[in-house]
Amino acid sequence: MPKLTIAEALRAGLREEMARDERVFCIGEDIGIPGGWGGAFTVTLGLEKDFRERMIDTPISENGFIGMALGAALMGLRPVADVQYGDFLLCAMDQVVNQIAKMRYMSGGKLRVPLVLRAPVGATGRGAQHGSNMEALFLNVPGLKIVCPATAYDAKGLLKAAIRDDNPVLVFEHKLLYGAKGARAESGSVDASSEIPAEDYVVPIGKGIVRREGKDVTIVATLLMMHRALAAAEQLAASGISAEVIDPRSLVPFDWELVGASVRKTNRLVVVTEGPKTGSVASEIAATAAETLIDYLDAPVLRVTSPDIPDPFAPPMEEFYRPSVSRICEATREAMR
Amino acid sequence: MPTPIRMPDFGTNVSEVKISKWLVDVGAPVHRGTILAEIETDKVTTELECIAEGVLLERCVEEGAMVEAGRIIAHVGALEGLAGTAVAPAAAVVPVRPQPRSAEFLLDLYRRMLLIRHFEERVKYLFLEGVMPGTIHQYQGQEAIAVGVCAALEPADVITSTHRPHGHAIAKGLTVESLMHELFGKPTGCCRGKGGSMHVGDPAKGMIPAIAIVGGGVPVATGMALAFRMKKEPRVAVCFMGDGAVNEGAFHEGVNMGAIWLLPVVYVIENNRYSASTPIAETVRLKNLADRAAGYGIPGVTVDGNDVMAVYETARAAIGQARSGGGPTLVEAVTYRITGHSRRDPCNYQPEEERKKALAAEPIGRFAASLLADGVADQAALDRIRAEVGAEIERAVQSAMAAPDARPEDALEDVYA
Repeated sequence: MPKLTIAEALRAGLREEMARDERVFCIGEDIGIPGGWGGAFTVTLGLEKDFRERMIDTPISENGFIGMALGAALMGLRPVADVQYGDFLLCAMDQVVNQIAKMRYMSGGKLRVPLVLRAPVGATGRGAQHGSNMEALFLNVPGLKIVCPATAYDAKGLLKAAIRDDNPVLVFEHKLLYGAKGARAESGSVDASSEIPAEDYVVPIGKGIVRREGKDVTIVATLLMMHRALAAAEQLAASGISAEVIDPRSLVPFDWELVGASVRKTNRLVVVTEGPKTGSVASEIAATAAETLIDYLDAPVLRVTSPDIPDPFAPPMEEFYRPSVSRICEATREAMR
Repeated sequence: MPTPIRMPDFGTNVSEVKISKWLVDVGAPVHRGTILAEIETDKVTTELECIAEGVLLERCVEEGAMVEAGRIIAHVGALEGLAGTAVAPAAAVVPVRPQPRSAEFLLDLYRRMLLIRHFEERVKYLFLEGVMPGTIHQYQGQEAIAVGVCAALEPADVITSTHRPHGHAIAKGLTVESLMHELFGKPTGCCRGKGGSMHVGDPAKGMIPAIAIVGGGVPVATGMALAFRMKKEPRVAVCFMGDGAVNEGAFHEGVNMGAIWLLPVVYVIENNRYSASTPIAETVRLKNLADRAAGYGIPGVTVDGNDVMAVYETARAAIGQARSGGGPTLVEAVTYRITGHSRRDPCNYQPEEERKKALAAEPIGRFAASLLADGVADQAALDRIRAEVGAEIERAVQSAMAAPDARPEDALEDVYA
């Protein structure tokens, strides 16, 4: 089995879905320019050679092309819109929240909106407007599904599931996990590559996975934080703490069955997500756990997140902003007290 | 390539007609429907319409000359713009001479306009009585635009609408019954009670739920047109919007992409001169909103939006151009909102003189007068239509009020497919 990075796995997934279904097309900025970059992180590199008419390069008009993706989806196509940086979703909030998420509901269930929005997130040396974690903002928008793959296997499988889904799906990808090479490589990248099987597969939306089994405490972590949680679990094991690490992979719908079963076993929960603490993804997971699992909890649910500040630029400040392995260890030890 | 303008065959007994007067100078911008010259035949004095967009390059015959049918009398040239599309600055209201249409067609337009007017008046009354829930944005005074444009569409064509959508829905073929049920919030309504007044629509009739965020429909209609292009379907999307929409970013992004790819979409601005309560003079410096078209390299046309036949002929030309691959047109239909912006708005900001003039120019009375004057129908026939329309609306009201209410828990359905 070939080992692929997330960028390569996403590209393979797009190529397969476009070959499989002629209704699938990509739309966005700088995605299919011959001699160009294949999007900001090489995901669509070279696809224009095979699918020239289905790689729609747009002007810099996020609200416009995301709204167009909706129009095309309503007329029977299956667009994959490439949002160059997740932060740019804010330029298109009307289309994403008012139109895309609500169109089926407003039609009384007569319409389907098979549409994928791919958006890179995560603080990566670009300061406050190219590194935000957008996931939490969309948790409060019914009508959208949200996935956040942390490995190449899941990236391909979730993307393919998203393209085949009849609902709008936001795919959040972490810039430090792409494994993009050459001029578009990111410093500080983490290896998230996987062995990718040759045969067709999807990762079902709404199904999490246990990345490391443990019996003392459950750590739920997404994207880059999942990799840091695994590193933390390794360190904690050396001091006799057995941490179970769960990667939910999807935020909407959320795999409460998996997390609930783990917490009923460990009786302790730590949630790790990147981005400001107030109203975070971690907050929502912690609140639901407190509401539904209180009888099984032996300690308060702890959130490990960024502080409530914009993402700073200076490398030491940025590292302070992102939850670190040591902060995850510290919180887990506190949960064990 | 200049487009030759030929002398039409007027079907007269003599083979030649006289160009009695040229009305357009060489170098002037012209549009489909611009009157180029006055023509005299052995029977009547009539007008010669332009059939192309661009500028008048050349007049091939002198005033007073006798010309046989088929001879080239002028050339119109398109200014080359983005992707070869014609660029022409919009003129003031373009005079469009309607082609002769059958009485059946004309009376159907009349009936549809009247259906919208009576629907809106009845709804307003129901609302003021406190029987109908929610809020309403009504279409009185603008009926000629929805009806004129939709009459030029094929059933498979699609529209997007706005927070003021009742007229578009009726013009696109939704039944007043399905609309009335929706306005009452009944599960038997066109959106099963999940849309309400501001989101009426029915995909089966070519109307997605109306988009009540000003300008929000512009990218969506453009995307529907992109799908038609990619699927090689000969369909057209029409985007209805108010004058307020031209100041939204979504308008700019959407129209620009429709223009660069020459997509089969027509943008129809209903200029009723008020963004809610703010007069148009305070929101744009342009006299004609169609002039915005020049910024995108597409044709812009301003038409009298209270003249249903002028709207129809303009829309027919624009829709035909879109369908044949010629790209979008920005149509500005000038009208006036003779009702409030929304519920219980007394319109105190509309000057009385202006309102008086607008009421005198409202489209339904005007069209009725022309139908009578042209002998298309007599007063009795128009009265019959009025009675039928009234009865249809009354039936819809009764059935909507009698329909079972929505079940609260139905609110949880239809979020995901």
